Amino acid sequence: MLQDFAFYTWAQFAPAFVLVGIAAALLMVDTFAPRFPKQGLAVISALSAIVTGLFILPGDGGISLTGLAALACIATGAAVLLGVDYHKVTCESVCGAGSQEGTGEFYALPLVAAAGIFCLTQARDIITLFVSLEVLTLSSYVLAGYFRRNRGSVEAGVKYLVLGALSTGLLVFGAAWYFGMTGSFSLSPATLAVGFLSPGRITGILLAYVFLFAGAFFKVGAAPMHGWIPDVYQGAPTPVSIFLGVASKAAGFCVLILLFRPFYTVLSVPEVGSLYTDRVVFFLTVIMAATLLIGNLGAIPQSNVKRLLGYSSIGQAGFILLLFLGIQSFEVAESGVEFVPLQHNVFYYLTAYGLATVPAFYAVALVRMSRGSEELSAFRGLAKTNPRLAFLITVCFASLAGVPLTAGFIAKFRSFVALLQCGSCSTLCWLLPIAVICAAAGFYYYFKIIREMYWEKPLESDKPVTVPGISMAVLILCVLALLWFGSKPLFCASPAGLWFGF
Amino acid sequence: MTPLAHYLILSGLLFSIGLAGVLVRRNILVVFMCLEMMLSAANISLVAFSRAQGTEGVPVYDAQVLALFIIAVAAAEVAIGLALIVAMFRSCRSVDSASLNTLKD
Repeated sequence: MLQDFAFYTWAQFAPAFVLVGIAAALLMVDTFAPRFPKQGLAVISALSAIVTGLFILPGDGGISLTGLAALACIATGAAVLLGVDYHKVTCESVCGAGSQEGTGEFYALPLVAAAGIFCLTQARDIITLFVSLEVLTLSSYVLAGYFRRNRGSVEAGVKYLVLGALSTGLLVFGAAWYFGMTGSFSLSPATLAVGFLSPGRITGILLAYVFLFAGAFFKVGAAPMHGWIPDVYQGAPTPVSIFLGVASKAAGFCVLILLFRPFYTVLSVPEVGSLYTDRVVFFLTVIMAATLLIGNLGAIPQSNVKRLLGYSSIGQAGFILLLFLGIQSFEVAESGVEFVPLQHNVFYYLTAYGLATVPAFYAVALVRMSRGSEELSAFRGLAKTNPRLAFLITVCFASLAGVPLTAGFIAKFRSFVALLQCGSCSTLCWLLPIAVICAAAGFYYYFKIIREMYWEKPLESDKPVTVPGISMAVLILCVLALLWFGSKPLFCASPAGLWFGF
Repeated sequence: MTPLAHYLILSGLLFSIGLAGVLVRRNILVVFMCLEMMLSAANISLVAFSRAQGTEGVPVYDAQVLALFIIAVAAAEVAIGLALIVAMFRSCRSVDSASLNTLKD
């Protein structure tokens, strides 16, 4: 069985070693040079995550899963960068105002988590997948509950830990059955086909996959396992919410794709799995519909912006899941089903989502620092007091809703194309209306914030929100990228470029 | 020799008891013990399968490697979990899950 691991090389994991090395160095500085300003640690940590992310970013636009790792690293960097401006709140919530003791790990741990995500994208067997996923999750538990003087943060940490450990339990139980039925942990179609072709083992494999998918659905926040998302996003420190919303979600989709690839390849071989294809696809479409409905309809009554963004992230995960329907129409190549378009689309969607979500959480943090509240009403009259900031936030939320000329529109467009490519007419009949309703609901709740900024008047006592330089730079960069990706198809000559131009 | 099915039934039972405990118990510490039980259930399955897949008395060691990793991860999880429960007790004066009520719709 050792040959299964022969395709891992040390060099392949070099970025993970670099990230963990920098994290360890930062922890050493934190311990042995306690006077060193922690914001400096945050800047070093953020820069190294972003540089690593740019370094591993593949030139092919996310065809391999490494693209997701690059996206996750850059998002981690953006999250830590917010920590620089958010440092005052961090100090108050960890050890009381005036002292920066015990805040160093807050900036080192995200690097460890990013290393976990990178290893995850390189995984080709369940053992590597499990260990790297745990490196990510264990760091996330600590980060979510990091503000120990803040009751919401502790509560978010405990809830995340209990539900996350539950999903780990489901995942390893599934892994045990996967091994029992196939005799190997390798995530290759050949291994899985062995199990499918042995008599009496298909039930065991389907059982294993139910558990494995349950674990993966927890990470992406799909329907039956979505319960933790609103609570944890609301309670966790805002930089951590960014990390969970973008980087951790990219990791979740990486797990889902890794598990889905061999499964779907085997199912699409006519004499092996065709009996089960329809049932499996039906099961997945029900989950997609439930995720879309819960996320988008649940967001409507929310008044806390972080909670609203949590529900919105469930809804967006639903739209990303729709992309999985698109692979049905691809031809089955000799080596198996073609998954490149799926990976490319997931990468594109997550990029568009991340570029809009990161500045949205930045805005929440800035408003929280100046006005002391994360409620919708804290955004009142921002267009009067901070017109530039209000405009930038407007573009982000418009992109999340899917307004044309922003990247979010093209991302949602691709989801709908994938849905239309799904072969079965009856699925289309009930899933398409749901998707349309959910996209429309998105316009309602995202525009609630825009309405709050432009229609409501600021109170007499409201001062302009102070925007530090780093935050402003990140906001402007993200908004420019959103507009660039959104308007790029206009400059493409061919119709194919119009639909799929990156 | 004990047949494979016996181990799997034991593991399934442990897993179900753990899952039920997580869902119905209110004390976070007990919930945490139930979570550990679920991981142990998976370990029993893994080791049993590793024997059953082997030939001539030599097990397939892949599964036992994963079992060791699971034990390590469970230990790390306990360290983090107990720290969080202590923090929770400090802020809520209780380890009951009903006291986790600041975040809700």
